[in-house]
Amino acid sequence: MSVHQPRTVAQAIEDAASTTKNGYRFVEENTDAEPFFSHGAIERASARFGGAMQALGLKKGDRVALILPDNADFIFSFLGAVRAGIVPVPIYPPTGLGKLAGYLENTLHIVERSGAKVLITSSEIKLMLGTIAAKAPALQKVVNVEPLRASKEELSPAKINLDDVCFLQFTSGSTSRPKGVTLTHRNLAANVHAIMDLGLGVRDSVDSGVSWLPLYHDMGLIGFVIAPIYHKNTITFLPPLLFLKRPARWLDAISRHRGTISFGPNFAYALCVKRIKEQEMTGLDLSSWRVAGCGAEPIRAENLKAFADKFASVGFDPKAFVCCYGMAESTLAISFSKLGTGVNVDVVEGDKLWSAHKAEPVAAGAERAAPIVQCGSAFTDHDIAVFAPDDTEGQKPLGNREVGELRLRGPSVMEGYWDEPELTKNAFAGGWLKTGDLGYLADGLVHICGRSKEVIIVNGRNYYPQDLEWEAGNVTGVRRGNVIAFGTMKPHGDRERVVVVFETQVAGEDALHTLKADVRKAVQQGIGLTADDVVAVKVGVLPKTSSGKLQRAKTRELYETGELYMRTSARDVDRLDQVKELAKSQLGYFRTALFGSKPEE
Amino acid sequence: MKFSPAKVRQELIAILSAHAQAGSTVSEKSHLVGDLGIDSLGVMEVLADIEDKFNLSIPDDALRDVDTVASVVRAIETRLQKEGRLEG
Repeated sequence: MSVHQPRTVAQAIEDAASTTKNGYRFVEENTDAEPFFSHGAIERASARFGGAMQALGLKKGDRVALILPDNADFIFSFLGAVRAGIVPVPIYPPTGLGKLAGYLENTLHIVERSGAKVLITSSEIKLMLGTIAAKAPALQKVVNVEPLRASKEELSPAKINLDDVCFLQFTSGSTSRPKGVTLTHRNLAANVHAIMDLGLGVRDSVDSGVSWLPLYHDMGLIGFVIAPIYHKNTITFLPPLLFLKRPARWLDAISRHRGTISFGPNFAYALCVKRIKEQEMTGLDLSSWRVAGCGAEPIRAENLKAFADKFASVGFDPKAFVCCYGMAESTLAISFSKLGTGVNVDVVEGDKLWSAHKAEPVAAGAERAAPIVQCGSAFTDHDIAVFAPDDTEGQKPLGNREVGELRLRGPSVMEGYWDEPELTKNAFAGGWLKTGDLGYLADGLVHICGRSKEVIIVNGRNYYPQDLEWEAGNVTGVRRGNVIAFGTMKPHGDRERVVVVFETQVAGEDALHTLKADVRKAVQQGIGLTADDVVAVKVGVLPKTSSGKLQRAKTRELYETGELYMRTSARDVDRLDQVKELAKSQLGYFRTALFGSKPEE
Repeated sequence: MKFSPAKVRQELIAILSAHAQAGSTVSEKSHLVGDLGIDSLGVMEVLADIEDKFNLSIPDDALRDVDTVASVVRAIETRLQKEGRLEG
């Protein structure tokens, strides 16, 4: 067994520079030209971008915010900064549909919190950002990327160590404030080794990837920009919006370039099943695709099966599926299902899972059978254990097939959130990173049942109900503080349905219709998320605890059973509810997610 | 192929009706998200349908100016006009 020697990302870029055959290719929407940059060319382009940033006055350890919708611009700027020791802070670009206000607020927060001195963006987005520089005191300049492309500045060598910060990865927070996961070169080297060597058995210079994933997201950035540099692989990039518009272009790129590795969240596979037409499959050949990774949101085995069935005729191998568990706080990957085994489902007894927190195997066809997708075991040098969610000491791990919060430790785990000591402290328990995900280990294999934090995940992005509730609560006619938002799984759907319920004194069909549309607009503009259902209820209907706190899980349950519509006041049912509540486990609301609707029938 | 303004509206309403949430009626004033409940993935699908129907290419940044049905009509007409394919 060879010993793994960690290298910095900067070192990996230099090591790959002698490679002229492999590199990055950029597919564009309206042209057949696919610009290709060898790893040698990437080394040179990144040096110029890095030199240009140094010329802007940025020094080792300074932060630079990047809002770059163009994949090539982003990659060269990001890698250039890293080589100069400057810490890049990727921020997602605005996507439109009138949600600019919320976007600007988010962007300003990230810029302020990271202390970025310079923000690099396209001239078009710069106009949209307006006076952001005036509002963030540490931000000295907003710079257009276009002149950087032609820059001839030389990169002054910077000494980069494994324990230097490589970049900040901002994720949505539990309030409306994103948190910056601080990743060192050592974190990245460890996780890249885990992904490429231990997880996927990547062959240097041989395997070739295809990715439409956004580069401001960990799966796209670490999985398809950083990791392939360490292993000198060729990657073909597509713009994310092109995939969303024409999903067939993803598979077409894999087919034409003989891609062997490509990843997507669950919804991407479902989207291909739904959107790709028979005639778009003509000539497609997916037989080269040996790793079809699925991660970043809950995996539903039936969606992957539908994909495998649909594309079997064009050479897709269902054994190519690799089910992945990961999170930004652990760099990217936590565990992968074993290569070449496809989707493995652990069928357990549903009632025991929810009430007794035990995952007891049953036959697949059994009544109350709950299928849980298996995501493999911890990588070498990393540990995963399950603890009771209220175990703050992290001293007493639960046993085999006992359900609790998954926690991890190892070299991929972040040291903390940037400039957030309190949040960082709360993220750990006794040296273990708390994932907030509920699950169990069966003979060391990770199984995720759901999330303990009521996060709503749509298209791979996390949304916190509090944020939606805040936006809806600002709408005139809505009783502020009496709004509840939650996600619920559609029966056999491919994603979570987002529901917003609010109390109001407004009456009359037309007035209520307008009010609901206003709420939907407010949520869309503030958060960028479309509510699937907006429900108005009378004053006093939303369930509350004795201390007056709104009960989100309870509201979801009432919604799912249809009882919400029948309630006229909370008072008459509350006592019975309290008794029922005691008898239930916190996992109760995963019933619907696993069984689809109405498990009682 | 050429399109009259009336035809643009008619075809667009047909496309949007297929994507709108059940129970909603498409009019020029409808807000794609607020009134028709079309989410960001749905909008990309609508965009693909529009490109196919009108044989146009609509860049992603055009999305930033789109919120109501009327604004989509304008986006289509502007592009048809440029190619000399808007009648009347």
